[in-house]
Formats: sequence, C-alpha cells, structure tokens
Amino acid sequence: MEKNLSSGALVRPVHKDANTEADIPAGYGKTESYLLPKDPAWLFLFWEITTGTLDYIKSQYGQDTLQNARTIIRLHDVTDVAFFDGNNSVFHYDMPVIFEARSWYINAPQSGRTYVADLGYLTADGRFILVSRSNTTALPPGRVSDIIDDKWMIVEGDFQKLLKLSGADYIGMGASERLQVLGQRWKLTELTPSGAPSSWSSFALHLDKVQEDEDIWLKADCEIIIYGSASKNAIVSINGQDIELKEGKFSIRQHLPAGSVVDLPIHARNAKGDKTRHISIKALREQGK
Amino acid sequence: MGQEKGYLALVLHAHLPFIKHPEYPDFLEEDWFYEAMVETYIPLLNVFENLTEEGTDFRLTMSLTPPLCNMMEDPLLIERFRRYLNQRVELSEKELNRTRGTEFENVARMYFDKFRRYQDLFENRYHGHVLQGFKKFQDMGKLEIITCCATHGYLPLMVHKESVNAQIKIAATDYRGRFGRNPRGIWLAECAYNPGDDKFLREEGIRFFFTEAHGILHGTPRPKYGIYAPVYCPHTGVAAFARDMESAQQVWSAESGYPGDSRYREFYRDLGYDLDYDYIKPYLHSDGVRRNIGMKYHKITGKVSLNQKQAYQPHEAREVAAEHAGNFMFNRQKQIEYLSTILDRKPLVVSMYDAELYGHWWYEGIDFLEYLFKKIHYDQDEIKLITPSEYLEIYPQNQVVRPSMSSWGDKGYHDVWLNSGNDWIYRHLIKSSERMMELANKFPQADGLLRRALNQLGRELVLMQSSDWAFLMTTGTAKEYSTKRTKDHVKRFNELYEQIQGNRIDEGYVYSLEQRDSIFQHMDYNVYSSAAKEAVLKKY
Repeated sequence: MEKNLSSGALVRPVHKDANTEADIPAGYGKTESYLLPKDPAWLFLFWEITTGTLDYIKSQYGQDTLQNARTIIRLHDVTDVAFFDGNNSVFHYDMPVIFEARSWYINAPQSGRTYVADLGYLTADGRFILVSRSNTTALPPGRVSDIIDDKWMIVEGDFQKLLKLSGADYIGMGASERLQVLGQRWKLTELTPSGAPSSWSSFALHLDKVQEDEDIWLKADCEIIIYGSASKNAIVSINGQDIELKEGKFSIRQHLPAGSVVDLPIHARNAKGDKTRHISIKALREQGK
Repeated sequence: MGQEKGYLALVLHAHLPFIKHPEYPDFLEEDWFYEAMVETYIPLLNVFENLTEEGTDFRLTMSLTPPLCNMMEDPLLIERFRRYLNQRVELSEKELNRTRGTEFENVARMYFDKFRRYQDLFENRYHGHVLQGFKKFQDMGKLEIITCCATHGYLPLMVHKESVNAQIKIAATDYRGRFGRNPRGIWLAECAYNPGDDKFLREEGIRFFFTEAHGILHGTPRPKYGIYAPVYCPHTGVAAFARDMESAQQVWSAESGYPGDSRYREFYRDLGYDLDYDYIKPYLHSDGVRRNIGMKYHKITGKVSLNQKQAYQPHEAREVAAEHAGNFMFNRQKQIEYLSTILDRKPLVVSMYDAELYGHWWYEGIDFLEYLFKKIHYDQDEIKLITPSEYLEIYPQNQVVRPSMSSWGDKGYHDVWLNSGNDWIYRHLIKSSERMMELANKFPQADGLLRRALNQLGRELVLMQSSDWAFLMTTGTAKEYSTKRTKDHVKRFNELYEQIQGNRIDEGYVYSLEQRDSIFQHMDYNVYSSAAKEAVLKKY
C-alpha cells in the first residue's frame, strides 16, 4: 500500500487549543480493581491501591509480616460458582506482581471459563491477605462447542463441511486488512506522524485446538513482559524505538518462541540528549523437546 | 417463497464518531464527515433514487449510527457541509476550462456532473436533511435502517451493565425520534457481542443483531446451519446473523479484492497536491496547508510511483465495476447453489461492510452496488436480496444458540480496543460509568439546572465511550486527536461531577458543554439508574 502523502512532518495547525484542558487524574483515590476480557486466552486487570489501604493492612498484620510477603495476583476460576467467598473457587493460581504496575495482562489457564482476580499478599507462612477483589469476567470458548442440539441435528460430515464453508479456518484473519484500510482512511487529515510502535502489543492468539481423542496433551507458550519507570522528562526507547510513558511508567510484552533470544536494550535520554541511562535485558528460551 | 435457491443480505455499516467543533471556524477532523457525505452517503441515495426511478427493486440493510444521525441533523454541520459542497462545485467548474483538450477532460467532467447532481439532491430534494432521503427508502420497504450503540460504545469492555443499558436505550430513543418506529435491528459497535447483552436489545424491541462468523460458529450448542441461518439467543429470542467470510474476502482482500484493480481510481494522488498553489489555495483549510481535497484524476495503473500514474478514465472504471458486480453475483450463485445441497432450508448469505468503504475508499464501489442491484434484479432468479426482518418472516423458527463473545476486529476479539497502546482509557471509562450510575441513583427526580448538569454528564460519558478513540490509538492514525478527545471528555465529566457533588453547578459551564458536546438533545440521565438495569435483567 502506498504511503500517504499527506502525513509529513508538518506542524498541526488547529489543535493549539487556547483552552487546552489539563491532564486527567492518575487515579481516583479508591482501592479497587477491574478485570476485563481480551480474548479466549487473556485477561486484563487494572487497579488502584491507596496508601490508606496499605497502611490499614500494615496496622492489622504488622510491618514484619508484609515485608516478608510477596505481592501476587491470585486468579480464581469461579465458573458456575453462585457466590464466590474467596475460598470456594474451582481452582486458583498465583502469579507475582508489583502493585506499582497498576495493570497486568493475565494469561488465563483455560478459555471459556469465568474468573475473578484477587490482589494481595502471600505471607511467608502461606496465608493470603486480600487487598482488592475484582469483578467477575467470563472468557469466550474460542472453539466449536461439543454440545449438540437433539432438535437441530446435523450429520457430522456435513457439519464439518459447513464449518469450512463458514470460514472457521479464517477466524480473525482478514480483519487486519480492514484495520489497515480503515486506519488509512482517518489518516487523510492527520498530520502528526505516529510515535508508538503498535507491533509491541501484538502477540499470538492461542486458539484452543484440543484433540478430544487423545489421552493426554500439553501445550505451553511464553511471553515476556518488560516494565519499568523513568523520570517524567525522560525519553525512553526500547530496541531503538521510542515508547510512550504512561504516568512515568512503561511496559511492553513480547512473544518468546522456543529457541529464541530476546535482547532488548532500554535507553533513556533527556530532551537535550546529553544525559542518558541504559539497561539491557536479555532472555533466552531453550528449544523445548 | 419464490423459486429462488437462497438469499443474500447486504449490510452496510455507516458510522462516524461525533465530531463537531463550534469553537473553531474551520476544523480539520470535521472533514471526515463532509468527505463521507459527498463520497458515500449522498451517492448511495443517488443510487436508490436512480433504481427507484427506473423500477429496479432492491433490498439493503444499513446502520446509520446515532452519532452520524446527530451530525446529519446538526445545523452547524449542515451549514459547513453546504459550504464544502459549494466549493467542490465551484472548483470542478473551473476545472472544466483548465482541462479542456487534455487527457483529464473526462474525469473533470465527471466530478462536475456528480457534484452538481449531489448538490441538487442535497438542496432541492432533501432540503439539507439527508436522513429524510434514507427514511423515504425505508418507508418504501427497500432499505432497512438499523441503529447502533449510542456512540459506538464497545459493550464487552463495559463492566457496569448500566452503561450497556444506556448505550442501547439512548440509541433506540434517538432512532424512534428520527424514523418514527422501533429499530428492528442493531449493529453492535465492532460487532462486539457479550452474551446476555441481548436482554437490553429485547427490552427496546430490537429483534436482531450481527456478529462475526465465530460469534455463531463458537456458539452453544453447535449451530446446525453454520452461519447460513440466524440463531435465536436463549431467553430473549433476539436473532443473531453472522457475517459470511467468503464474500467479505472478495472485497477486503489486499491481494485479490476488487478495489485493487489497476483501472480504478488512485486514492493517494490528489489535486490538493497537484495543482498550482495559488489556484488551489481557496479550497484548502484556512492554514493553507496542502491536503487531499477529494478530487483525484489518476487511476491505480499498477505498482508504479504516484507521479507515474495514468489518467483516470471514468467510463472504463465503470465497466470494471459492472464486471466485478457480475463476478460477485456469480460467486454468490455458486455459493448458494452448493450450500443448498447441504442445508435443509434456503441458505442466507450475509455480506457486511463498512459503508464508507464504498465511494470514499473504493470510489467505484458505489457503481458496483448499483450494478449489483440491477443484475440481481434483471439477470437471474437464483438468489434474492433480503433484509433480516423479511428473512425472519419467512423463517420464524430458528435454532436457539447462545452466541460466543466475539468482535469483527483483528484476531476476532478485543485486541484492537484493549492493548498496551490504549488500555489506560478503561480506568477512566469505568470510573466515569460508576460515577454516572451513582448520581443517577442518588438523584432519581432532578429538575432545573441539576437535571441539565446530569444530562450533560451522560453526554460526556457516552462521548468518551466511543470505540473510535481506542481504535484510532491502535491504528496510530489520528492518535493525537483521539487521545485528546478521550481526555477532554474525562476532564469535563470529572469537573461536572465535582460541581454536582459539591452542590456548586456553574450554569455557564453547563451551557458551554451543551453547545459543544451537543449530541442527544433527548438525553435523560435516568437511563443510568441501577433500577432500570435490574428491571431488564430480571425480566429475561
């Protein structure tokens, strides 16, 4: 596709708004968390934890207990649980998190299930101290149902044909072309070159393709998340591409295929470019057998 | 039922976010609306007029989203569009002289004729109100106009169902005011469906919506007819129609799609850049920067640079559009013929597209549609055009399937609207939604200034919920504008919220927002009450 001629290094003329409205708040002063569905395999959790809440927990459990505790997200599978009380989930699993991150993408263990995420402390002696509980969120199944309707029976072979004709192999494909075209459409009047590398946010979608007839199966994949913060005036780049800071923080995620090395140099520089800071993060995933 | 072997439902989704900036005499992003008016919406009406005049019957389903309807009826935007159209007529007339005797003579004539025709329709037939045109064809039974979420809000990412209820209720109210009846169908923004949201549709009398193919393919239980018949949602009986991927690909595919034909108009080579600066300047924005003005004299030609493009031949391009329409129809005939060997009822193929694809992006797409309607009407009787409502009359019995959460976005779910480039907005969208219902519950019977402030609060909320902003942040185009719009509405919302909570509402501030963010004059903040939501959830 041709590059749009109208997007050049021109200064945007009309938005120098005399009454430009100030920035929006970083938070709303309330401890709470929300869990959103992203796709059959991923959830997005964001939260705010006030110092008041943390002080209260410290006063209840003691500074020592918390210092030796890990901060975690405890993801509960609450499918078909009528009233979740914190202990009656189908199962749960824990992942470490830093509260300051304020949001996290969570790889759900199974598609088509319903989840609640608890943020809290896991103490050295294995106790869980709840800081915030999210809303409940259901994920889509991401595959064809096993349930067959007696009243609307169809011969299996015909159903497989229909699935193919219906484009089951192309789910979600082709939409990127639409995205590109429609994105271009808006570009007509756009003069500011865009900064953020959108490819950072793309990752493989794990469509559940379970072979029902096999006795046992195992799948695993890996992504890495790199996060950090920098002073407000810093311009941060990862692997040579400038990234956007959100309230002084950044995070990127990237798929890490088997047998690959990821080498991500992180640079920060001031506006003049005479002061720089540098951190390099490398990760190696060995070829699985 | 006639002798046809199956049905084709063509669905066009017409939408633009609400963009209106009375605070500036001239605003860049408003051009999206003017361009779509002159390239897509009025040309479509022109096709309907032509077909009706010559006695060609047709069926088409179109969503006209509430923000688009609000813009089409906004006096300021109508006035500004009038100026835009006048300028196009004026320039194209000048161009007749400039191009006389050159290879561009034909294309210049084409623009002049079209602009004058569109001006005539706009001024003399619709008197500035194009919605009257659309309504006319709906009343004739040829066009089925459906609604959309109030501001194209992305429902699966709304945690509070009060906001989902409001997005649907506000849209349905807006529709009734404009078209004088209940909306029978809805285009869920981005075809994003969340199981259970159909309850709010049913409550407004909406009988059907559309999903991406896997919305039904991944439904429970297995859909007997795949995507070639609608299914009913459990409890509500609202019908879901799924998108056919094959016909979608024929138009959208980058490699093999129709719009890429070398004889079609080249989108990127525009007179705004080609003509002498002094000559074109009066038709540019007040900042005098060269931009696309929507008149293009070249064809795609091939994989050559922009300055090697050849002159556009309107006649040749129209013939190609006719050829493509024939090909599209042929493929649907084959598809339906094959499907009818598997299905025990007449298959339905639902072809869904963004309306602005036709005319704006694919310039000859309008001609394509006109030819397609004619060919289907005159040249064959194997496939019949149908609207979803008509289909449900023929086949009132449908399988009950709970559709899967899905969207028509890249990868099929929410990635486009929820990723590391835009996820920060949900903290604010969800908080604002929570605060809105808090105040709606607190003040069930407000009047006077408090009522105005609460209604405006609702407008700021729906405007920040437009899925367009998250979309534009992801595509990277208009990122600055979409970020600013999100933040502006959050700021205005918070300011108003504080004023209401502090019992210190500033009437001047409320007034200024009413003028600026003037969507939904009928806004009633009570749609956000939790009682209203509970009543719906209990009912189904």
